[in-house]
Amino acid sequence: MRHFLFALLLIVASWPLYAQDANDLLKRIDESLLPVSYEAYRSIVNEEPNGSKKEFSFYTIKKGKDKIAMLYLAPASEKGRSTLRVGENMWLFIPNVNKPVRITSLQSVTGGVFNNADIMQLEYAEEYVASRAGGSDDEIILNLKAKNTSVAYDKLKMWVAKEGTSLRRVEAYSSSGMLIKTLEFKQMKDFGNGLVRPSVIETHSPLYKGYRSLLIYRSIKSRTLPDEAFTLNFMGRLGSLR
Amino acid sequence: MKRFALLLFVFVNALTGQDEGMTMPDEPKVEWNGNLDAKYSILRFSTNSPIARLQFFQQTIPDAASQYRLEPYLQAAYTTPDVSFLMRLHAMYYDDRRSSVDLFEAFARYNPSIQTSLQAGKSVYTWGKGYAFNPVGFVNPVKDPENPDLAQAGLFSAHAEYVGSFSSGPIQSFSALIVAVPAGPALNDRFGDVGKTDVAVKFSALLWDADLDLMTYQSATAPDRYGMDVSTNLLENLEIHAEASVAQDVSRASVQDGFVKQVLTDAFDLLAGIRFLSSTNTTVIVEYYRSGIGMDEPEFQSYRTFLANAADEGSSAAVQRALQSNQSFFRTNTLMREYVYVKASHPEPFDWLYVTPSAFAIVNVKDGSALAAFPVSYKPATNIEFLFWPTFLLGSDTSEFGTRQARQRLELWMRVFF
Repeated sequence: MRHFLFALLLIVASWPLYAQDANDLLKRIDESLLPVSYEAYRSIVNEEPNGSKKEFSFYTIKKGKDKIAMLYLAPASEKGRSTLRVGENMWLFIPNVNKPVRITSLQSVTGGVFNNADIMQLEYAEEYVASRAGGSDDEIILNLKAKNTSVAYDKLKMWVAKEGTSLRRVEAYSSSGMLIKTLEFKQMKDFGNGLVRPSVIETHSPLYKGYRSLLIYRSIKSRTLPDEAFTLNFMGRLGSLR
Repeated sequence: MKRFALLLFVFVNALTGQDEGMTMPDEPKVEWNGNLDAKYSILRFSTNSPIARLQFFQQTIPDAASQYRLEPYLQAAYTTPDVSFLMRLHAMYYDDRRSSVDLFEAFARYNPSIQTSLQAGKSVYTWGKGYAFNPVGFVNPVKDPENPDLAQAGLFSAHAEYVGSFSSGPIQSFSALIVAVPAGPALNDRFGDVGKTDVAVKFSALLWDADLDLMTYQSATAPDRYGMDVSTNLLENLEIHAEASVAQDVSRASVQDGFVKQVLTDAFDLLAGIRFLSSTNTTVIVEYYRSGIGMDEPEFQSYRTFLANAADEGSSAAVQRALQSNQSFFRTNTLMREYVYVKASHPEPFDWLYVTPSAFAIVNVKDGSALAAFPVSYKPATNIEFLFWPTFLLGSDTSEFGTRQARQRLELWMRVFF
């Protein structure tokens, strides 16, 4: 009994350190994925059950922990659209309408399996609290719980390579525990300036049987950006930063 | 004019502000794109509609009629980090004799810094948070609630804008916009009255995760207007928005004793709405709109009787007078006071790939009449869209939507983007 109590005390005493370790690891994962402030060219390929594909190209800028904006470059029917995320606020700007409209993180402006929260992902450590959930010789599994209800997914399960803290796989769950989608991180690529990360994120979902979407990073470059580039007024002018 | 000079002075000071040290690409970009809309419509007319009887004076009102038109849109843009130019052209083609080209937008912009910009030319403004109606759209083009997303012609104007962003505190960003609207060329068809330059001002902020705008329109020839709007997300899938505007001595037209009369009145316009995304991926928009100068039911019946009497009289002078009055004083999309707008859309239901059906209705709260439409979009390939768009006007012959000249309309669109 004394041994059991001692073991329990040890676990309780070491739990904050254990959790701290998981959250530190999550921060390191964020740092390994993207610079704090950057510009990137990305594509999304949506594959339909009948085999046909639709591709979208974006110019993306991000600053700090809570600001990201995207400009649609192709196809022509979407060209000039832009999306902005500041914290949990998201807007869509359509050139014809010429007005930013609030959208939700669960919507998908491109269709397919990716929703707005996936495409305009902020840092994981900003939105989630991490805890260790086991692992194997070469990878660590983390459980992530959303810090508040405005985050798109209530829980994430994350597989991370022990070497280099490289993200391999993420499963996204609803608050009821239902699996919403799986993200697979593939094809490591050297983007320069020491940034080596997966260049393709593949996603599929039991809710969209037969569909598959790919988010492909073409280039990523560290860049100092002004806060004003992440305002509603600038959404129609994002192209001037390219 | 003095007000404008004062506001401009404030902006000149703001323009001297420098942005933080950042590098931007300086290679100019020239881009052009556009789309071609081919639209075929079939209208079924209402033989009891006084408007149809006036429009088809001394003719038999056809049971149905078709219309085929082309609408090309062309946009060209030249962009550098500090200077840009944009031009957007729209054309309407019925046949070689009946076609027109409109300059929707043509403006040049200079950005002295990332926070400031000066713009001159013809520009589209879209003030307000409402989807179908905008009570605070003082400088907006007239919105068609049946198709709020349609591109429209801008306003001949010049403006200065300041944008500031803050990393701490409740205000995350702030902007101020001053728009000068010169008087039209009334003197010798070329010159305007300097004293009749209108000024519109809008202050915007992202405050505690809510978009907030305060705006005013100051005019020497029209009533001064004041308004505010707000929009925020209550939940990750629920957005709410509202607009309100007030104006004093607004000209309001009504028919009294068989004549159109204009009286000055104070107007309070209101809009409140939500946008909701369900767990099944259906987007729902609901808005309530109150027009401060809309007609009440007795006034609408007087207006309808006025049109019907002109049609009954049978003289071309009476018909022309009624049509002209209708065009001059009653040409808004909604004539009465209270409306509810509801729209629902759902992408790819029942595994119908590339198909997005939607349904919307504009309901007149007072007389219960409604315009209901069920557009279905089909995008089989990149840069092409087909639209099947049936519309029904519901209500008694004496109701607002029942009075319109068509009872049913079917539109088929083919849109190609390039």
